Amino acid sequence: MKHERVDRLSRGESPVHRLSPGLKTAAAFAFILAVTLIPFRVGAVFAAAGALLVLAIAAGRVPAAYLLKRLLLLEPVIAAVAGLALFQPGGAARFAAMAVKSTLCVGAVLALSATTPAAGILAFFRALRVPSILTSMAALTVRYVHVLGDELRRMRRARRSRTFRGGKARAWRSAAAAAGHLFVRSTERAERIYRAMAARGWR
Amino acid sequence: MSAPAVEIRDLRYRYPDGRVGLDGVSLTVEEGETVGLIGPNGAGKSTLLMHLNGILPDAYRGAPSIFIHGVPVEKATLLRIRREVGLLFEDPDDQLLSPTVWEDIAFGPRQWDWPEAEVEAAVGRALADVGLEGFGRLSPHHLSNGEKQRVCLAGIMVSRPKVLALDEPTRALDPRGRRRLQAILGGLDAVKIIATHDLELVAETCGRAFVLDGGKIAAAGPAVEVLADEPLMLAHGLETPHILKNGACR
Repeated sequence: MKHERVDRLSRGESPVHRLSPGLKTAAAFAFILAVTLIPFRVGAVFAAAGALLVLAIAAGRVPAAYLLKRLLLLEPVIAAVAGLALFQPGGAARFAAMAVKSTLCVGAVLALSATTPAAGILAFFRALRVPSILTSMAALTVRYVHVLGDELRRMRRARRSRTFRGGKARAWRSAAAAAGHLFVRSTERAERIYRAMAARGWR
Repeated sequence: MSAPAVEIRDLRYRYPDGRVGLDGVSLTVEEGETVGLIGPNGAGKSTLLMHLNGILPDAYRGAPSIFIHGVPVEKATLLRIRREVGLLFEDPDDQLLSPTVWEDIAFGPRQWDWPEAEVEAAVGRALADVGLEGFGRLSPHHLSNGEKQRVCLAGIMVSRPKVLALDEPTRALDPRGRRRLQAILGGLDAVKIIATHDLELVAETCGRAFVLDGGKIAAAGPAVEVLADEPLMLAHGLETPHILKNGACR
């Protein structure tokens, strides 16, 4: 599963992995801030930013296939949003700026998550005294992506074991049912998690 | 004479959909006791446990019907009660809510605003209590069911509760995990109330047992006597465990 892949990568071994999680998170955010704020006219900056990112990825031994697959998944979203700029005067330049900047930012986040365990990133934000409601929510998300992923996998397996005939329409219908089912299960689980949190003094 | 560890007087509860959950439950557990709460599915065991530290009911009206060491469970005392009564839920995945084991055990103490150095020491102690030294940095996702269960227990023991309410603690454990949990529980200094279908666990660890059925206490007494009463057990969807059947009593 995808969530396991990032989990395994983030606990890997490389010079980048050995850096402190706080340092890497701060660097990634500084990078994103710079990429977003510096005007695109300063082309050399972006070439340098791209080179820096590639260097970090190489030093962190993040598999290229892993990165490209995820970038490809997100690229249509970026293209759709940036594409709107094409209808404005000077659209082509804006389109290029948005596409390049977004890609660099997404790349930085992917590189960070593949080289730094989520717990380290969260600890950094907590040390910065980011409001606890935000860090708690992020922590819960990290934790329950795994649980939900497992649940989905069990449901899929159970469905596959009882599916004798194929057919696209049938597959879509059962996928829709599975999504609904997962939603109901997640809502129930959320209720139980809240109770477990309250039992341990959550206010 | 000091107040009993847990006292329940005529506890009644309806689920939000109107079904009767608890229909006048009264029981008393004294300091130092370990008691079993047994009964068929849907008898109200989990519901009863959730009342012990005020998770249920969702809104408090009327006079309190539960007292922990003489302190009534009501809105004003909830935070104190939740520190005194540790609740172990049935599914460890509901309870393990942090990205790492260490963070998870620190969840309670952080809610109580303990100084960070104290949190550190308490988490270390709790990990040692359940025999999981060195597991702090792992993610709950990488643990076996038995290990998850023990982390949950550590997350509760970290605030040194005086009463432990355990919901099906052996449900997902293999025999080794079960033995281990039993040994750990035996070493914990707290009143224990165990809701379970694991009747051998009740026979082996509990002094007294309460049979709950349809939201009412149907029988109560020394665990071995209650469990050995075959007609009673069968009437409530239970059975006499084999260790009691063969005359090999404890």
